[in-house]
Amino acid sequence: MAALFGGRRRWRSSQCFHVWSRQLTGKYDYDLVVVGGGSGGLACSKEAAQAGPRVAVLDYVEPSVQGTKWGLGGTCVNVGCIPKKLMHQAALLGTAVKDAKKYGWQISGPVCHDWATMAEAVQNHVRSLNWGHRVQLQDKKVKYLNLKGSLMDEHTVKGLTKAGKETILAAKNIVIATGGRPKYPTNIQGAIEHGITSDDIFWLKKSPGKTLVVGASYVALECAGFLTGIGLDTTVMARSIALRGFDQQMAGLVTDYMEEYGTKFAWKCVPKRVDKLSSGALQVTWTDTRTGNEHKDTYDTVLWAVGRAPETKALGLDRLGVQLNKETGKIVVGTDESTSVPNIYAFGDIGEGRPELTPTAIKAGKLLARRLAGHSTELMNYDNVPTTVFTPLEYGCVGLSEEEAEKRLGKDGIEVYHAFYKPLEFTVAERDASQCYLKVVCERGGDMKILGLHFTGPNAGEVTQGFALGFQCGATYSHLSQTVGIHPTSAEEMTKVNITKRSGLDATVTGC
Amino acid sequence: MAQRLLVRRIWTVSVKDIRRFPAPAAATAASSCFSTSLQPAATRVSFLAPSRALPRSLPHASRREVSFNVQDHEDFTERVINSELPVLIDFHAQWCGPCKILGPRLEKAVAKQKGRVAMAKVDIDDHTDLAIEYGVSAVPTVIAMRGGDVVDHFVGIKDDDELDSFVSKIIGQ
Repeated sequence: MAALFGGRRRWRSSQCFHVWSRQLTGKYDYDLVVVGGGSGGLACSKEAAQAGPRVAVLDYVEPSVQGTKWGLGGTCVNVGCIPKKLMHQAALLGTAVKDAKKYGWQISGPVCHDWATMAEAVQNHVRSLNWGHRVQLQDKKVKYLNLKGSLMDEHTVKGLTKAGKETILAAKNIVIATGGRPKYPTNIQGAIEHGITSDDIFWLKKSPGKTLVVGASYVALECAGFLTGIGLDTTVMARSIALRGFDQQMAGLVTDYMEEYGTKFAWKCVPKRVDKLSSGALQVTWTDTRTGNEHKDTYDTVLWAVGRAPETKALGLDRLGVQLNKETGKIVVGTDESTSVPNIYAFGDIGEGRPELTPTAIKAGKLLARRLAGHSTELMNYDNVPTTVFTPLEYGCVGLSEEEAEKRLGKDGIEVYHAFYKPLEFTVAERDASQCYLKVVCERGGDMKILGLHFTGPNAGEVTQGFALGFQCGATYSHLSQTVGIHPTSAEEMTKVNITKRSGLDATVTGC
Repeated sequence: MAQRLLVRRIWTVSVKDIRRFPAPAAATAASSCFSTSLQPAATRVSFLAPSRALPRSLPHASRREVSFNVQDHEDFTERVINSELPVLIDFHAQWCGPCKILGPRLEKAVAKQKGRVAMAKVDIDDHTDLAIEYGVSAVPTVIAMRGGDVVDHFVGIKDDDELDSFVSKIIGQ
C-alpha cells in the first residue's frame, strides 16, 4: 500500500523551471492549454488529455465587486445552474409544504425559512463539486493551474498568481473558454457600491431580505422567483420585456404566474440612483417611463441582472488580432470554434452567437478536443438545443418561438396546436393552473414537421428533455399524436394536443 | 525523488540522535521539543512503557498537540513527515457528512493511545494541493504515516473497534 503513495509523495517539481528549459529547446510545454476551468474548459481539457496529449487548464476567479470568489468549476457550478436549481428547489418545497395541509399533513403553525441553513447546505454542495472537479483533472492527468491566464502570442500563455508571480506556458494549441461575468449598470449612481449580482447572491451568509431585482432576463426572474418562494419581499424592475429572445406568449405566462405567486413587478421602470441610508438600507430612485414620474423605495438588497459580458480585455486578445464582436466583446468564432488566429480556439459563453448554456459548452468542448487530436471531424450542432427557465412556474422549450417561426414561414405557413391543462397535483392543493400551458408550432401542410415545442408547468425541464429527442429526430405532428401518453402526467398533454390557434376554439383541456 | 527520500531519512535519524527524550506528542514544535529534553529520566521510562499512562509531570502543552489542524505545507512537513510518532492524517471536508462522524471516533481512538500516536487534520478545501498530492479522492480518507512513510490508509467510515485495531497496528503493537 505504501507503494501506491510513494510515487506521488514528494511531488514538488517546479513547473516554472521545466517551462523555461523546454522553451529554450523550442518544444511546446503542452499540446493544449485551456484558459478557463468552467463547464466548457474542463470538458475540453479532460477529453483532450484522454488520447495522451499534455494538457493544462488555467482557472482563476477574479473576485466580484463585492469580493465574492469561488473554486474550480466555472459559473455553472459556483454561481449559476447548480446553486440556482438548489435554491429553486428550496422555494418549491415551501410551496409543497403549504399544499401538504390539503393532502392531510398536520402542520402546526406557519413554516418559516432560514436562509443561513439553505445557503450553507448549497455552498457545501458546491464545494464538494469544486473538489470533485479537482480530483477528475488529477485522474485524467490534466495539469491544473490556479492562475489568471492571458495570451502573449498564439503559442504562449502567461499565468499570473494573485501576488503577480508569472508562469509562462508554451502551447501548440490554445483554447479560450473563460465565459462571462454579470454586468453592472454604468450610468446609475451607487449601482456598483451598493448593488450585488448573481455572483454574490448564492454566497451570501445572511438573508438578502427585501430585494429589488433589476432586469427581466432568466437570471433576474429565476432569482426573484426563489427569493419570493422562500418568503422574501421581492420586486422585479423591468425596463421593457421579460425573457428577451424567448417566445413572448410563454414569457407572459411565466411572469403572470410570478405575479400571482407574490413577486412584485415594476414594468417599464428604470432605476436612476441607489443611496445607502444611515439605517443601512438601500434607497432606490427610479423613473416610470410610462408616466415620467420618479419613485423611491427602500430595500435591503439590490440585485443587478442586466446582462453578462465576457472578460476578453484581460486576455490580451486585441494585441494578437483575435477578432471580437464590437458590440458584445465576445470572440468571433467559426463553426469549428476557430478564431481569426490559427491554433487559437474559443467556445462556450465567450463565443459570439453561441447559446450561454452548460450542455452546449461541454459538448462543443469535447468535440473540439477530438478534432484537435485528429480523431474526428464532427462539428458541434447548435440547433435543436432544448432549455428550461427555472422560474416558480418552469418553462421548457426546444426549437423556434412562435414569432420566429412566423417570421420564417409566415403566419399562414405554420400551424400552432395548444392547450391549457391542469396538473393533477394542483387539484387537491387547490392551486391555480391558469398559466399551465403548452404549444406545438408546426409547419402547415406536408409532413407538419414540428418547429418548436413550448411547455409551462411543474418539472418542465424533465418534461422537455424527452421531447427534445423527438425534435432532434425530426418529429412531425403525426409522430406526436401517434405517441401514447403516460397517465396521469402533465407531459401526456403534449401528445394529446389537438386544438389549433387558428380554430379559435377553447384550448382548455377538460377531464380525462 | 529517491534522493530526496534519502536526505529526509538521514535528517530524521540525526534529529532522533539529538532528541534524547522524544516528545510523546510528535507534533510539538522545536521550542517544546527543548523543554521536553529537560524532563527528568522518569519521562523516558514511561515513554518506553507504552501501556502505562503518561506521568503527571509532563508539560500540558505536549498532551494538547496529539490532535491538531494542519496549517500549511511547512507545518505538515514539520509535524507530520518529521514526526517522531506515528501520525494519522485525517483528510476531511466541511461538506462531508461521514467526515463529521469519523472525526470524533478517530479522536477517541487516538486519545486511547495516550500520546503514542498523533492525529493531523487536513481540511481538503483549505489544503487542496496537499490532499491531491497524497492521492486523496473521496473523503474521509485517513492516511497513517510513520517516519515519513505512508504505512496504511483507509477511505470511508470505520467503527470504534476497527479504528482501535487500525491504530494499534500503526503503533506496532
